[in-house]
Amino acid sequence: MADNISLLAVFPDLTLAADAIDQLRSLGLSDDHMNVISGIPVTEAMLGRPNQWTNVPRIAGGGAALGFLAAVLLTFVTPYMYPQPIQVGTQATIPGPPTIVLLFELTMLGMLLSTFLGVFLDSYFPNYRPMEYVKEVSDGKIAIFFTCPKESKDKFTKAMTALGAEKVEVAEVDHL
Amino acid sequence: MIDLKVTEIKMGEEHVGKWGMVIDQDMCTGCQACVAACAMENNITFVGEKDSGYGRSMHWIRIERFWQGEYPEIKMTPNQPMMCQQCGSATCEPVCPAFATVHSQAEQLNLQVYNRCVGTRYCANNCPYQVRSFNWRDYKRPEPLANQFNPDVTVRRRGVMEKCTFCIQRIHKAEDKAKSEGREVVDGEFTTACAQACPATAITFGRVDDPESLVSQLARRHGHGVKHLEELGTLPNVTYFKGG
Amino acid sequence: MTGYNKKEEKAPAGVHHHESHGEEHLREQHLMLDPLPRGQMNEMVMESMHETSWKFWVVFAILSVIVAYGLFFSWGKMIAEGLGIAGVNRPSYWGIFLVNTVFWIGISHAGTFISAILRVFRAEFRRPFTRAAELMTTFGLVQAGFSIFMHMGRVWLFYWLLPYPNERMLWPNLHSPLSWDLIAITTYLLSSTMYLFLPLIPDLAMARDRSTGWRKTFYKVLALGFRGTEGEWAHLRNAMNIFAWAIIPVMFSVHTIVSWDFAAATRPGWNSSIFGPYFVIGALHSGMGAVIMVLAVVRGTMKNMKYFIRPEHFDAIGKLMLLISMGWAYFFFNDYMVQWYGGDKWTHQLLHFHEEGPMGWMWLSMLVFNIVIPWAVLWNRKWRSTPWIVFIVGLLINVGMWFERYIIIPVSLSINRMPFTWRLYHPGIEIPLGIGTLAFFILLYMAASRLIPLVPVWEVQEGQMAHELKKFGRETVVSVSELE
Repeated sequence: MADNISLLAVFPDLTLAADAIDQLRSLGLSDDHMNVISGIPVTEAMLGRPNQWTNVPRIAGGGAALGFLAAVLLTFVTPYMYPQPIQVGTQATIPGPPTIVLLFELTMLGMLLSTFLGVFLDSYFPNYRPMEYVKEVSDGKIAIFFTCPKESKDKFTKAMTALGAEKVEVAEVDHL
Repeated sequence: MIDLKVTEIKMGEEHVGKWGMVIDQDMCTGCQACVAACAMENNITFVGEKDSGYGRSMHWIRIERFWQGEYPEIKMTPNQPMMCQQCGSATCEPVCPAFATVHSQAEQLNLQVYNRCVGTRYCANNCPYQVRSFNWRDYKRPEPLANQFNPDVTVRRRGVMEKCTFCIQRIHKAEDKAKSEGREVVDGEFTTACAQACPATAITFGRVDDPESLVSQLARRHGHGVKHLEELGTLPNVTYFKGG
Repeated sequence: MTGYNKKEEKAPAGVHHHESHGEEHLREQHLMLDPLPRGQMNEMVMESMHETSWKFWVVFAILSVIVAYGLFFSWGKMIAEGLGIAGVNRPSYWGIFLVNTVFWIGISHAGTFISAILRVFRAEFRRPFTRAAELMTTFGLVQAGFSIFMHMGRVWLFYWLLPYPNERMLWPNLHSPLSWDLIAITTYLLSSTMYLFLPLIPDLAMARDRSTGWRKTFYKVLALGFRGTEGEWAHLRNAMNIFAWAIIPVMFSVHTIVSWDFAAATRPGWNSSIFGPYFVIGALHSGMGAVIMVLAVVRGTMKNMKYFIRPEHFDAIGKLMLLISMGWAYFFFNDYMVQWYGGDKWTHQLLHFHEEGPMGWMWLSMLVFNIVIPWAVLWNRKWRSTPWIVFIVGLLINVGMWFERYIIIPVSLSINRMPFTWRLYHPGIEIPLGIGTLAFFILLYMAASRLIPLVPVWEVQEGQMAHELKKFGRETVVSVSELE
């Protein structure tokens, strides 16, 4: 990859960006060599890109299981950690309906905490390293990063400009 | 066929506690000796006139008096001493989030663990008899009351709930003594401070699970005892008599 | 389907046949049809945070003093002297502290209602103010936390209620509704804060790109290095979807459990099986009233907010308020009817005391503020689209709902099965403490309005992309595409 170069092209709207991605593919780049950044959630289908793999639902499921387990420990195990179970108002040591309440709450807590954590893990947040970025993105523009052979830089630049790119430049890594 | 046993479990007649009381309202003169004795025995703090008038008196036992009719034709009802009924199925117990009020298996009493209490006051709301008192402040005991403490009973600080214990310190003392002498506790060997102080012997304390004890005999003899708010299923251990 | 709903909702019934509603008119009315370039909207939102008049700082300073005295000093004094300086007594062991706790938890329900339920049902009008509502949830819960901790006799031992391994292996009593409450409120506070933060990340990145100095550092840290890659958006979208669905049952459970604090007790008037839904709808009632008040203030005082928050939004929330008010009336009457018919003498005493006791005026005002006034005003589209009118209605609903909780807690506690202990409750230091929580809520909100983008710009842009005008015969109608 030593003789590859990273370029970025900024497009004002979706259709142009989608065309540009098709064009890049026809110029021989695979989807792995492109990355899109945008200021609104642009679905993969809109740009004809492969679906993104996300672990968030799986992590959420795992967290729900952990939360449920914590609730089971709390409701079914802690009442028996005394020499003699504590008796309150002739209620059973493990009360039925309240147990359901606690199982529900802690399962939800586990699930939501891990969903949140999942976003952090999957997106490598927090991440304050210098990264390739253009500020126009938060103004609604769509930027496409792609790596191409150094010698064909001009070819790609021209192709992107022809498709309506507002600017095409060498992507530089900078602090956000 | 329907199994009726399921419904019998909580019926009052079926329930036998351990310690109980019989209060004869016809004997009660309303002299408040029990209230004073209880306060001395249990280190109950001195609330003062102002707070007491605002419903913050901390007596573990109170004499309730009512009147019927309009002045001047009023008729007094019999005095009604009211204290913790040591419910067999106490509504105050399950609602405490900190296990500060629990049921004693050994003594069949409703315990209050002062050290564990964080002061949510849920137990007091949920007590149908309204007999729990809360330490609203750190009250100062006027002289010479400040020199009078029962060493067997904890002194409670502000923010803590408390209530009648059936003088559990006396129960334990008697049980310890009996144990050291290798015998059972004898009926009438000891009694609670309120019963001891009552000049009219309106209050009798003892084992309700022993058919030969004085409380059981009195309950049988009167035969028309009332347990307050029994319909709530609280299984109280105090029986009241009046109009006998 | 959404498009069809949209049309029904926005087109004023019976008017559009006579009057020609041109595209211009529709655009003027609806934010979603009146798109601006994203850069310009960003600029407007940034400006709304930066431009702060002296009046803001005067109010800010006054509120700070109130918080310092009403909340922190008074609370410190109460911790030092005991609850004796409050008005609680026997039999009203619970007073305004718990009234405020229930009240603030109620306020917090509106945020979730708007940002989760309306998101799940794709109600498009929610877009510009989901965050404004979510902020209320988090800050409302903070006040609920303050109120519940104030209420405790020995607050310095609050951690005894938490399940943690300790040297004596004592665990909380899970039989107690207060234990469920603690866990449910903690769950709700944490999840609503996370749900506030997730959709905020892209806006923090936007703010980071457009600021300098300390603000730059602030946003940079909070934006966590978000760039908007396909992966980041996919994770975020997935997570927001899970949150939107999962937080709805959590929200319902929280106020239901709060209601069980009362309903599980053996007290006349409390031991009612309808308290769960009755409290939930009451929470939404006061919450929506509070949202509309906040939106009216935000629109009136913050720069550029007249673009984002329009009469159409007041109209939409006003309709929800009317519906919720009807729901509240239904549950209230249901509860009342059954209690009245039941024939229990203590319950009868209590109902009688509610209506004709010394706090009867409160009971009556509750009905007027919660039912009569909303029904009298909100049916009218013009009135419910006018910010100051709905502000007043929202305020009255909140007063009415506070009265409702006051009647349920200290007033109902005055009457019990032991007539010897019947006594009225007179608030003491609860009043400065309650005002302190209110001031602290406003203070936090004011601070947040200058620190975080109050309008989720990316969500607005997404909505604007999805909306278009479509012709059906001669009529121009609004049409929405489902982007996700």
